[in-house]
Amino acid sequence: MTNQIELSGVNKYYGAYHALKNIDLAIPKGSFVALVGPSGCGKSTLLRSLAGLETISSGDLLIAGERMNGVPPRRRDLAMVFQSYALYPHMTVEENLTYSLKIKGVKKAERKKAADDVAAVTGLKDLLSRYPRELSGGQRQRVAMSRAIIRNPKAFLFDEPLSNLDAALRVHMRKEIRTLHDRLGATSVYVTHDQVEAMTMADHVVVMRQGIVEQHGAPLDLYDRPINRFVAGFIGSPAMNFIDAQSSADGRFLLLDLQSPQVLPAPASLPPDQRVVVGIRPEHLRPAAGGEEGLEFDVAAVESTGSASYVTAATSPEIVVVLNERSAIRRGERVRFAVDTRQIHLFDATTGQRLDVP
Amino acid sequence: MKRLTSSVTDGHGFDAVLVGVPFTFLFLLSGLPLLYNVLMSFQEVDMFSLGSFIRPFVGFENYADLFRQPETVPILINTVIFVLGSIAGQFVIGFGLALFFWTNFPGASWLRGLFLVSWVMPGLVVGAIWNWILSGDFGVLNFMLREMGLISGNIFWRSDPSFSLWAVVLANIWLGTSFNMILLSVGLSAIPGDLYEAAEMDGANAWHRFWTITLPMMRSTIGAIIALGLIFTLQQFDLFAAITDGGPNNASNVAQYWAWDLSFRQYDFGRGATISVIMTGFVMLAAMVYVRSTRHEVRG
Repeated sequence: MTNQIELSGVNKYYGAYHALKNIDLAIPKGSFVALVGPSGCGKSTLLRSLAGLETISSGDLLIAGERMNGVPPRRRDLAMVFQSYALYPHMTVEENLTYSLKIKGVKKAERKKAADDVAAVTGLKDLLSRYPRELSGGQRQRVAMSRAIIRNPKAFLFDEPLSNLDAALRVHMRKEIRTLHDRLGATSVYVTHDQVEAMTMADHVVVMRQGIVEQHGAPLDLYDRPINRFVAGFIGSPAMNFIDAQSSADGRFLLLDLQSPQVLPAPASLPPDQRVVVGIRPEHLRPAAGGEEGLEFDVAAVESTGSASYVTAATSPEIVVVLNERSAIRRGERVRFAVDTRQIHLFDATTGQRLDVP
Repeated sequence: MKRLTSSVTDGHGFDAVLVGVPFTFLFLLSGLPLLYNVLMSFQEVDMFSLGSFIRPFVGFENYADLFRQPETVPILINTVIFVLGSIAGQFVIGFGLALFFWTNFPGASWLRGLFLVSWVMPGLVVGAIWNWILSGDFGVLNFMLREMGLISGNIFWRSDPSFSLWAVVLANIWLGTSFNMILLSVGLSAIPGDLYEAAEMDGANAWHRFWTITLPMMRSTIGAIIALGLIFTLQQFDLFAAITDGGPNNASNVAQYWAWDLSFRQYDFGRGATISVIMTGFVMLAAMVYVRSTRHEVRG
């Protein structure tokens, strides 16, 4: 598969501020890539650099094999869906959709046909003569999508396109965007701060922090083998529990630094007395069967959503357990939770890097 | 009585008081003089009957007389030239400056604020300064034009009948440009920046973006500024008093200055009022355009 977008050694400075630090990234044709990270991590800057709305300070940017560093946005043939939608308020939906075609000098009859075709796909057929101010949020979102689709661009760039929609519509549009992507055989780059969106929509997730790509890969790889404590905490909801610990003298056990001393079997043999951080996902803890080893603590709170129960432990640091069932556990009880050794993540106490267990 | 009090403190009566106070104020200070002016235009008024309210009614005699005078039509034409020339100059230069400052170079907002100095200057002061600039023998404008090779002899801006009106237009453009610039700047900054980014992604170059985004988004602002410009130019009086005094031989006389001249120099109050009434009609037209264009604002 060829790469539709390729970045090598890309840096971006705003004055002295180093916004993008030596980014290398290849986006294969036809893939759906999500850029995800906390606000200020540089994901939007990276997307805007692809679009040409920001210029990169150094490095190379290739789109469909052509070097695009200094090329203005209008010659890059990329379509962007903005968070605010950025619909032209003085134009009807049809004029919004066909604006790019009009600029290109496409004849009126052809423009009309193109608008009708796209509107049929995105369900805007009856809204073509309306103005953006007469549309609901979801409809505006569709117009913004359609305006991108009509151009048949080299790649689609999405800048948090769903963040202005309500929760139910967001879940629906997630699926719809992915379906459209597959149907068009498009290449998409999708910026979001919501890791659920990234995990559910993308083939490939890029986790960024402070201008650095921390880790990229298939969503489940990131979930199963986060490369450091940051990625581990960012991917997955509710977030992973982190507990300071020390390996035992023989390296076979982990002595956890909770209020009361607790012991877990180490996933691998560790050097003696090494300080580590133990990471356990809330969904990987389960009530221990009789005699099974595990963590024992008092329950501070139990919240039930009907399908799942969230158990919070009265420990410091606080430990959260998600049980995908209705639980009989009550507040104030003392409960023992077990975890599979294979589902324990270990991180270096000082660097936060993953300690790989053979 | 109690119901009335409670209505005034907390009810429809309060609304009525809120509307009533400014309405009374407007009626006393603007409405009554306006009506009195209309009444005078249908009466025979001279210095001796000025103090009385009941005066001989002459119907449209003042209007008919006015249009029988040979200078009326040229003065009305002058007024049109003055208004169109001033508005065109103020708007084009003002829009150009607004676009220039919109690029937001370092110090742009500071410099833009400085431009407002011309607008806060009293018209008489502006007139006095332009008198020096326009002066035929030692004026700096003639000097510049001569040095650039555009003219061979001096132009006597204020006393040459073919230039005197334009001398006032020039000063008025200088006076009103910054007001246009500020209002247009406000309009420009109200256009969301992401529209331009979207347009850029859609393939639009700077020229396309100006014609398809900036101008349509500025429609209501432009309508308002032109309507206001019309009102302000029809009010412009000080510059005529300071620069040409309407001369030579009415070559730079306009309706608003002539109305004052007839009423307060020639004491022909009936005719002065007649011109005012005609102008009021035009200003009301402009005001309607202004109100309509602010109502049609595009909101995203």
